[in-house]
Amino acid sequence: MIEVIACAALEAALNRLLSLEPQLDAELHTSKHKVLCVELRDWQQSIALTYTGKQFMLFNQYTDPADCKISANVDTLMQLSNPSILTHLIRQDKLDLDGDLQLAQSYSNAFSNLDINWAEHLSRYLGDAPAQQIANCFQNAKVHRVSVSKTLQNTLSQLCQDELKVTIHPLELEQFKMHTRHVKNHTAQLEQRIHSLLNR
Amino acid sequence: MKESPQDTADFGYKTVDREEKASMVADVFHSVAAKYDIMNDLMSFGIHRLWKRQAIACSGVRKGHKVLDLAGGTGDLTAKFSQLVTDSGQVILGDINDSMLKVGREKLRDLGLVGNIEYVQMNAEALPFPDNSFDVITIAFGLRNVTDKNAALRSMYRVLKPGGRLLVLEFSKTDNEALSKLYDFYSFNLLPSMGKVIANDSESYRYLAESIRMHPDQETLKGMMDEAGFEQTTYQNMTGGIVALHRGFKY
Repeated sequence: MIEVIACAALEAALNRLLSLEPQLDAELHTSKHKVLCVELRDWQQSIALTYTGKQFMLFNQYTDPADCKISANVDTLMQLSNPSILTHLIRQDKLDLDGDLQLAQSYSNAFSNLDINWAEHLSRYLGDAPAQQIANCFQNAKVHRVSVSKTLQNTLSQLCQDELKVTIHPLELEQFKMHTRHVKNHTAQLEQRIHSLLNR
Repeated sequence: MKESPQDTADFGYKTVDREEKASMVADVFHSVAAKYDIMNDLMSFGIHRLWKRQAIACSGVRKGHKVLDLAGGTGDLTAKFSQLVTDSGQVILGDINDSMLKVGREKLRDLGLVGNIEYVQMNAEALPFPDNSFDVITIAFGLRNVTDKNAALRSMYRVLKPGGRLLVLEFSKTDNEALSKLYDFYSFNLLPSMGKVIANDSESYRYLAESIRMHPDQETLKGMMDEAGFEQTTYQNMTGGIVALHRGFKY
């Protein structure tokens, strides 16, 4: 029953998103009434998503045929916000896709292009100026967060590589890989020579 | 002259004439129709919406399907089906009770759902449709009120298309003793009082509790569906077996 509650909550959230970003309707126009089934391998759940033109409908434990079926782990699905890596993930066997590829791409595009105009929605409750001010603050905070996170990541990498010496630099890793490849090739050559000597 | 079991039917814990049951059930629903939705939400704490969601998820209803929502009452399932089948499909909301149909029609029209829904007053035991008419038939919380359940299941089988499926969502039996005791206390003590306060009708809600106890359990209903001709019959317990969703196919 928990899955059904989670599914209902997710459906409500998607429909709320639809009311906040009417552009979603235009983006999903060609996907109306088609069923996209997502199988979450690590959670052993199948969820079907349909857009009726008025609302999203989401069903769990879906066992019927779907227009497009995607099977992947949750972390792989998170990467689908970038539609261009879809085929890359399929080649890596991280994702199975059966059916209409365009349906999966249209959903991926629609959600990655989401750009909710928070200022407009907030202005109904707060008035234009405060709503714009708050939206700007959030935008600035977002940019600041990305910048701080990048700086922190760089500092941590340098600390681990140069000061604490607990990790190696990516260039060193690349060099190590190259050496390993050389050793592997030499070993293969040696093995071949031994074989040819033994067969004489 | 003593009445034979074929002439009588259960009406809650009472045994009544078979002909009388339909009109007695009709009286119950005439009485509760106006407050049906609000009482459903209160009585089940809103959980009935989750049970119905699960039924819709298992229905496999798609664009172009023809669906019969039997005992559809105020149209909770029809509202979803109508959007899923689109204008190329059709949903028939059937109920034996015209008060319930009127409430359902008003509610669905207020939601802007028109065009692919028809409202038909009908008896589930003798469905007024040709053979092989529907892709999906659902009956949610209605079968226990039908006088001759076997005849109703046979009638549903007849009008279902080959490859079609029947979904029966109905109260059932819980095998958890603690839950069962709590559920009995709630059904026989709190439910009629809630009915009295909100719908000014405690008797109808006493009937609801009694009719649930008289309804066949999961395995018996599965057997009845098999007997009517359904194949691959399965059921899924929900909320500890308080409600069960039976599913059967016609091939």
